[in-house]
Amino acid sequence: MKKRFFPFLLTLAAGVFLAACANASGGSGSTSLTVMGKKTDMEKSYMTEIFSRYEESTGNRLKIIAYEDAEFETKAAEKFAAGEAPDIFIHFHNADLNRFHADGHFYHLNGESWIGELTDSARAYCEDKDGNVLGLPFWESSVSGCYYNKTLLDSLGMKAPATQAEFDMLCQVLADLGYTPICWPADGCSWMFQFGLDPIFADDPGLLEKLNANEITYAEIPAVTDMVQWVADAAEKGWFGPDYLEHGWSDISTLLGSGEAVMTFIWDTWFYTDFEQGNRYSIEDFALMPVFMNTVEGGTYEGGNLNMMMVNQDSGQLQAALDFLAFCATPENYNAAFDGISTVSCFKGQTTNIQSAMVTDAAASIAARERVSTAASKIVGYSADDVMSAFDSLFRGKTDVPGCVRLMDEYRIEDAAKQGAEGF
Amino acid sequence: MKKWFGKILPSFLICAAGATAILIGIAYFHFISRKIYEDSTDHLREIYGQVNRSFSSFVERNWGLLEGWEDCFALAGGAESGEAAEFIAEEKEIWGFSEFYFLSEGKTCRTLDGAEADMELGWAWDGLFREKEPVMAGETLPTGQEITVFAVPVEHGEYEGFGFDAIAVSYTNEDLASSLNVSAFDGEAMSFVIHNDGIVLLSTQTGGSVFQNYLVYLRAASDLDEDALAQIQDDWTDGTSGLLQCQIGGVDHCILYQPVGYRDYMLLSAVPQSAVSAGFLSVQKITINVLISIFLLVGVTAAAILLVRNSRQSRKNRLELQYRESMFDVLSNSVDDIFIMLNTDDHSVDYISPNIERLLGIPAEEARADIRVMEKCAVNYDVVIPREELESIPLQGNRYWECEYMHQSTGERRWYRMTVYRMSIQDVKKYIIVLSDRTQEQQMNQKLQEALTAARSANEAKSNFLSNMSHDIRTPMNAIVGFSVLLEKDADNPDKVREYTRKITASSHHLLSLINDVLDMSKIESGKTSLNVDRFSLPELLSELNIILMPQVKAKGQSFTIHVQGAPPEQLLGDRLRLNQILINLLSNAVKYTPDGGRIEFLVSELPGSAQQYVKLRFTVRDNGIGMSREFQEHIFAPFSREISSVTNKIQGTGLGMAITKNLVDLMGGIIQVESEPGKGSTFTVELSFAYPEQEKTELWYRQKVSRMLVADDEEEICRDIREMMRDTGVEVSYVTEGAAAVERAIEAHRRQKDFDVILLDWKMPGLNGVETARRIREQVGADVPILVLTSYDWSEIEEEARRAGIDAFMSKPFFTSTFWQTIEPLFPEQGEQTIQEAEVTERVMEGRRFLVAEDNELNAEILTEMLNMEGAVHELAANGQEALDMFQKSAPGYYDMILMDVQMPVMNGYEAARRIRACGHPEAASIPIVAMTANTFAEDVRDAMEAGMDGHLAKPIDMAVVRSTVARFLGGTLQAADIHEEKKDPGQGPGGRGNA
Repeated sequence: MKKRFFPFLLTLAAGVFLAACANASGGSGSTSLTVMGKKTDMEKSYMTEIFSRYEESTGNRLKIIAYEDAEFETKAAEKFAAGEAPDIFIHFHNADLNRFHADGHFYHLNGESWIGELTDSARAYCEDKDGNVLGLPFWESSVSGCYYNKTLLDSLGMKAPATQAEFDMLCQVLADLGYTPICWPADGCSWMFQFGLDPIFADDPGLLEKLNANEITYAEIPAVTDMVQWVADAAEKGWFGPDYLEHGWSDISTLLGSGEAVMTFIWDTWFYTDFEQGNRYSIEDFALMPVFMNTVEGGTYEGGNLNMMMVNQDSGQLQAALDFLAFCATPENYNAAFDGISTVSCFKGQTTNIQSAMVTDAAASIAARERVSTAASKIVGYSADDVMSAFDSLFRGKTDVPGCVRLMDEYRIEDAAKQGAEGF
Repeated sequence: MKKWFGKILPSFLICAAGATAILIGIAYFHFISRKIYEDSTDHLREIYGQVNRSFSSFVERNWGLLEGWEDCFALAGGAESGEAAEFIAEEKEIWGFSEFYFLSEGKTCRTLDGAEADMELGWAWDGLFREKEPVMAGETLPTGQEITVFAVPVEHGEYEGFGFDAIAVSYTNEDLASSLNVSAFDGEAMSFVIHNDGIVLLSTQTGGSVFQNYLVYLRAASDLDEDALAQIQDDWTDGTSGLLQCQIGGVDHCILYQPVGYRDYMLLSAVPQSAVSAGFLSVQKITINVLISIFLLVGVTAAAILLVRNSRQSRKNRLELQYRESMFDVLSNSVDDIFIMLNTDDHSVDYISPNIERLLGIPAEEARADIRVMEKCAVNYDVVIPREELESIPLQGNRYWECEYMHQSTGERRWYRMTVYRMSIQDVKKYIIVLSDRTQEQQMNQKLQEALTAARSANEAKSNFLSNMSHDIRTPMNAIVGFSVLLEKDADNPDKVREYTRKITASSHHLLSLINDVLDMSKIESGKTSLNVDRFSLPELLSELNIILMPQVKAKGQSFTIHVQGAPPEQLLGDRLRLNQILINLLSNAVKYTPDGGRIEFLVSELPGSAQQYVKLRFTVRDNGIGMSREFQEHIFAPFSREISSVTNKIQGTGLGMAITKNLVDLMGGIIQVESEPGKGSTFTVELSFAYPEQEKTELWYRQKVSRMLVADDEEEICRDIREMMRDTGVEVSYVTEGAAAVERAIEAHRRQKDFDVILLDWKMPGLNGVETARRIREQVGADVPILVLTSYDWSEIEEEARRAGIDAFMSKPFFTSTFWQTIEPLFPEQGEQTIQEAEVTERVMEGRRFLVAEDNELNAEILTEMLNMEGAVHELAANGQEALDMFQKSAPGYYDMILMDVQMPVMNGYEAARRIRACGHPEAASIPIVAMTANTFAEDVRDAMEAGMDGHLAKPIDMAVVRSTVARFLGGTLQAADIHEEKKDPGQGPGGRGNA
């Protein structure tokens, strides 16, 4: 802790100094800021809209540096390594961000005026492990949770469970009635596992810190084993249906739409992007409830994964960059940018975006149970595919629960070592 | 009917008993199930009745509690809030509710600590504030926690500024559930407090509830139809209790509902049927298990008993079977019958008695593997019985075949009767085959058949014989009778008398031979013939044969040669008489059945393989006569058999000669064979073994200084035989095959002053014959060397010429050393005189001798008297043995020279008389020659005579030549008959018997 505290102070001092320099230079005419990001991300309508509005409003110029998705991480890292880091860097707050040494390159935005505009979940997403806000969340977002066929459940005289026990009860009753309680496409459910892991590490940041310092393993965290055991039991009890091992991403829509499956762990925007209309059940038939994976009694939601606009603290136009972020965080501007976009609100004053009824209806529950995406974004060496691979061995009887946990650890540590993470 | 009682009835009874047991079991199970169901539902009603009462009591108690607090809060309307809080806290501790509320008609709600609570309560507000009734309602807190609220209306009051019209307490549903939970069904029961529309107010499930509307749930998840659901709805609306069964999620459930007693609430319980009946089912299961166990135990015990009994029975059966098989094996091994059991389908062997290996030489394993191996033993393939023929045997019936098998190892053939039984026991068909050894029976049958054939043949032969004998006997008898009549008529004519007498004698001799043959055959066939083994000389035998045969041969102009091959011993032990009889029979037949001018050869040879003590000789008689048919050869040795032909019919014969010959050969342990071809002649071969007598060592040759001899014969084989026979004598034999060569050798020896001691010449040699050769030798060598002529011919015609030519003696072929010595011995002066003298005496040996003749037959006595008189002998007659004995005892020593004793006599027979004479005290009792004179002519008779103490045997009819020879043998010829006669003239010394003395 002591080791990290000193660099933090240095960074803070340098940031203040550079901001002053930027403000000093800002008054001398138009400014040109470099913005680096993934090409597809840069082409999002709300991104192009905000970029345009900024340039029109300020007369400043934005130099967009967009890399193809496949080579983005590599080329961006090369730029950073070459001392050619952009003024503004757009990146998700995930493990890959570590290669850019987020705590050393990017300006901490805790003191910015727009911080209060952020929803709690959006802010939490943008904070680093020390509570520093690394970037402005400007992205379409969703809420991941357990989306269930409310119509079907009502027709059965049943209600959404409020506890893990009730969830398990519901699964068993549904299974007894011949339904597939949870649509769990084993060949493409990589994201599901992090829903169970999120509360473990989000609720206990110290645990995450030890894990990332390689001081502890999954196997030493009982909650992880509990989660794996629950998944194993659920599969064993038939809660995933008889053919879950053959199901993949593309099967989710059919299974849910036909009513064969009643619930699945996914995010709301999936219903607008992948759920096929024309099935027996439509979007309106579904509702949102927390994910229950035996790691937290009341269940959990995972907040959306957001692209953050981060400011290079070494930028020669630090203030201009901070001003750009402040421009984006203005309600007038973000409402203009997200007008008609289906997304969960990241800003408290966000009004023009479209929020799904499922999320809206569960707003109170989400507010009480949502956790920032922690496992996938903050566990060093975490790979959704690796976790899915470990579970695949479990599902196919190649290993048992402890073996599955051991595999998760092995893959994680291996990836962390590849990334050159400290302590691995 | 018996089968029905034996097999079907027990099976029927067992099936009926089983079916009855099953029906009873089903009925019992049905009864038990029904009973269990009724008891279970009663139990369920009872339990949930208590639950319902407990819940109702709980509700009433809470309402009562709240109503009790009304006064408290009314009084405390202006009281310190701290006191109220303290009071509620104490009550909360006591009652266990989770929260206390103040409710206002404005549908606002506050907790005791003043916090605003989001309480909806729904219809309960109306009941509470409009109807002023206590209410119970479910509520979900913002945290998701579900609670049940109990509220009562109170007089309007105010607490810390909040005006209230009702007060309430809440319990978390989880707490309520735990208080209502029924642990009687292992946690499988679910209880709900529901509104009559199905909305779930409260669930007893641990951990919460997922049911929102149980009626909807039943509609979706159960197998209840709409009518049933409507009935439920009606019941709930009417507040009526009910119990029903349905399937939920494929599981049988009992659904029990009963009104709580408050408004439209019902207590609904859903319990899996298995849980409801678990206890009873457990009892049922235990009962059933016990019953099943008892049944099983009884069944297992019965089965075990049956098994043990069956096992014991099976073991006993197996043991019995094994014993029976063992016994059968032992039995079959001890008999010559083979037992086989075959499957009728494939003819595979189930059983085969092990004695098949002993009886047929086939290992039992081989036969067991494939019965067809027996075909190898079949002498003919008639024993391979076609399958169709086997299958045609009726069930439980049998059929048999006679067959002959040959033992595979020994080649022995045996006859078997193969009886095949076609058996069927419990529909399993088998062939049981018994091969009974019928060899002895077969052989006996064959022998009987042969005997029958032989008897028929013999009978036929005897008939023929009698027919022939009738003719053969009558013919000489006719001559004897006829000429006797003529003799009487012409008694005065001496010429006719001599002629008639000669013919009567000839006919008598023929008749006698007939009688002898018949008697001989009779004796042989009766088994009373025995051999009289004694030492005899083979050369003498051959010489006698030559003498006997030669007149007949000469009469028919036939050639007769005797040839001896090798060097057979001259002295043998055997029955000379029988051997002579055999050979005379063969040679006589050869002469008889060989036409005039024919050739008869007699060959004697020693067979190889003779042992040290025995010599085996082969006698071969070969002629070129009329021969015999093959058919006749087959029974030539049968008695009374004669070949019938135009030739043989003219030849006299009894048909017994060859039978006698064969029997004699058999008696002597030899064999006789015949080879013959009609028109080409016959060859009879007799092989006999003789023992060697003790050799008499003689040094004659050395004593006479005969050390070298010359033999001349054109047949070199004869020369070599002579040299071989002379080997043991130490005499050196040189031979030549021509007369001229003999002359040269003799001259050469003489020139070297080493004359041969004896020269032996064949008479008929090419070139110089024996006589001429002898003459030339005499001319050159002189008269000192003895020269003999060896010939198989009658030398009487040339004897005079030969003697003039210098030949000293003749000897007959074949050459024998003994004969040779006897021939040359007289050529030495001191030996020759005595022999000649003896010969002369023998001719007059009976003259002057006194004989005691014992003869009971007057006719025979008369004949003998006349004959003895003719010989110049004196005799005295005794009428029986006793008389002869008396006469001898009374006689002076030397009075009688010899006793001629008949055997069969009245008073005392000859044997007894001889024994008495030998035993009497007469000085000559032991030495007086006693000669049997009897018609008992068999060898046994001779032996009996000897055993009785007699010295000789004369066969009747009396042949005086034989008598003379016999007398000479015992009395010799040294005494002058006249002298003897003179000495015995003193009648006083005689016994006074009849006779010519």
